[in-house]
Amino acid sequence: MGTVLEVKELSKKYPKKTNFAVDKISFSVNEGEIFALIGPNGAGKTTTIRMISTLIQATDGDAIVSGHSIIKEPDKVRENITYLPDEAGAYKTMTGISYLNFMAGLFAKDQETLDKYVERGKAICGLGDRLNEKIGGYSRGMIRKLLLARAVMTEPKLAIMDEATSGLDVINALEIRKMIKTLAKEHNMSFLLSSHNMLEIEYVSDRVGIMTNGRLMVVGGIDELKERYQAANLEEVFERVVKNNEVR
Amino acid sequence: MKFGNILKKELRELITVQAIFSMIFTMVLLIVMGQIMGGAMEEGFDTSQITLCNQDDSEFTADVLKKVDDSESTNINYVELQSDDYAAEMERLGIKNLVIIPKGYGESITEKQEPAPVKFVSVFQTGGITSSIGTITASDVIGEIETVCTNEVLLKSYGLSDEEISLIRDPMQTVEYTVNNEKIAEVSPSSLGAIYMMQSMIAPFAIFFLLLMASQMIMTAISTEKIDKTLETLLSAPVSRMSVLGAKMAAAVITALLNALFMIVGFVFYIIGMMGSTVGEISMNAGPETIDVPVSEVTNMGQAMAELGLALTPMSYVLFALQLFLTIAIGLAVSLILGAMATDVKSVQTLTLPIMVAVMIPFFITMLSDVNSMSLGFKVIVYAIPFTHTYTALTNLMNGDMLIYWIGLIYQIIFFAVCMFLAVKMFTTDKLFTVSFNSDKSRKKKKAQTEEQ
Repeated sequence: MGTVLEVKELSKKYPKKTNFAVDKISFSVNEGEIFALIGPNGAGKTTTIRMISTLIQATDGDAIVSGHSIIKEPDKVRENITYLPDEAGAYKTMTGISYLNFMAGLFAKDQETLDKYVERGKAICGLGDRLNEKIGGYSRGMIRKLLLARAVMTEPKLAIMDEATSGLDVINALEIRKMIKTLAKEHNMSFLLSSHNMLEIEYVSDRVGIMTNGRLMVVGGIDELKERYQAANLEEVFERVVKNNEVR
Repeated sequence: MKFGNILKKELRELITVQAIFSMIFTMVLLIVMGQIMGGAMEEGFDTSQITLCNQDDSEFTADVLKKVDDSESTNINYVELQSDDYAAEMERLGIKNLVIIPKGYGESITEKQEPAPVKFVSVFQTGGITSSIGTITASDVIGEIETVCTNEVLLKSYGLSDEEISLIRDPMQTVEYTVNNEKIAEVSPSSLGAIYMMQSMIAPFAIFFLLLMASQMIMTAISTEKIDKTLETLLSAPVSRMSVLGAKMAAAVITALLNALFMIVGFVFYIIGMMGSTVGEISMNAGPETIDVPVSEVTNMGQAMAELGLALTPMSYVLFALQLFLTIAIGLAVSLILGAMATDVKSVQTLTLPIMVAVMIPFFITMLSDVNSMSLGFKVIVYAIPFTHTYTALTNLMNGDMLIYWIGLIYQIIFFAVCMFLAVKMFTTDKLFTVSFNSDKSRKKKKAQTEEQ
């Protein structure tokens, strides 16, 4: 099993701030693996994700996505990833289908590939005829489904999702989780997730990394961590790591 | 392909049905306003008709009125009054102006050789500029009656011939010349000024609207993308940031030009509608009326303006377009930086303010006065605003002030390069996501500091 993402001593310090937002973190994500970054607010999860997505520059360290450095080859990195920010919106004046077409056009090298991406996006989002309506009239859940479809329709090597199911009801959230698992297993796609929802992470992830104060404290499989901390669930592990600074 | 894809998306976002409707509406509104104003003014000017009540039965008054009638330049509507209550009488007759020649007027002039009063009654109107035109026209008609009266007195009381009367009345033949930049042309400066103003007033309006629209569009486009987090999605896609930046700027320029086109078409029709008849009048009266030469020889304004070096050459238009483009580019670059700092709708509104002020100050200053004739200190301050150079470009080009033009152009290029450098730096680094302006935050910070003190 190859490595899709290799994060090496990655750091970020914002100007005029005394502390590092992300402090020398290292972890890797394998092909077809779902890796989740969890941590309290301000732990540095979003900063890490934004660095890997090439949106902001790292102060130190590097991350390699499918063999390409985020520092030296950001353009190549972007060809291999998709990023879904937390609470992201879509262009309200576009219809759902034109949005999928527009985004597919940024990834596809020819019309045939573009059509293939759009067809896949249409099938994944499950919005049916409503794709012909303006996004401005969509509910929050519908927009999230559309964005999720957009993020996976190009079958990126690595899909990065910040709070993937935020704003979705229980049924829709469950569908999305199942979809992520299916895509990882059947299409060998890798996912880097960030979430505050421990149940979701426990259900969907293969491995997790717990961050606090910019540092990656613990990395491991769900069952492995529960065993290591003698905990009944991931929430208990999280509490011990974040609240008690227990590193095992 | 990706640039085209983003440009198409940006244009779709900016040129909506509502936006097109708004453009057409503005254009139609201006055209209709021009027609209404023009119609009202024409009606006013056409009213060389006056309502007159002749209460004098003298031969002198009858002769004067006959001559006025024969001149065909005025159309007198004769009425009889039933009482001295002029307000009620005018209401009854449905008229706005009334001239009353009282009984004994002719006798006073011919027998007593004393001036006698003629009453002129007007209804006070507050309906704008056009409402006063009727009164002005009526006054002109009274002036004409007065001239005929004088001629009659000179003819009958002093026995002067028509030629002698003409000499007394018009002993001076005024030939008007205008000098500009050591060049001279036989043309009235006031008439030339009116034409010059009409020609040059379209440009500042176009610049004003173009700048405001383009700036607001790019600012809204960037800030909305940032607030909705669509920008993060877009910039994490395999597309260069420069393509995104370029597409946004190009879309804003195209939309602004489209807006300006509709507005200028509307504005031109507004001017034509409103001033059409007046322009004709000015052109006809542009030369010295007293010289008996073919009108075309002295009233050709274009020729006079060319002689004075005030006419725009094709090269002037190219140079003006160059500066106009630079101005829009500066506006877009500054708006791009400001828009990228917005965190919410409120902060977008606050951030629009500096652009609006920088666009409005030179607009009003150049509309009201000549920047070049200001004191050096004031001139430096006004010219420090990069947009000023485009407002004054047309005037400078028309007047041949090429040094000011070139200095302005170089200054704009430097200003644009600096702004673009900052915009690109912002767009290609973390600053796009880390620099922010939050009006609420700064207010709260200030409040907290005050409370601490």
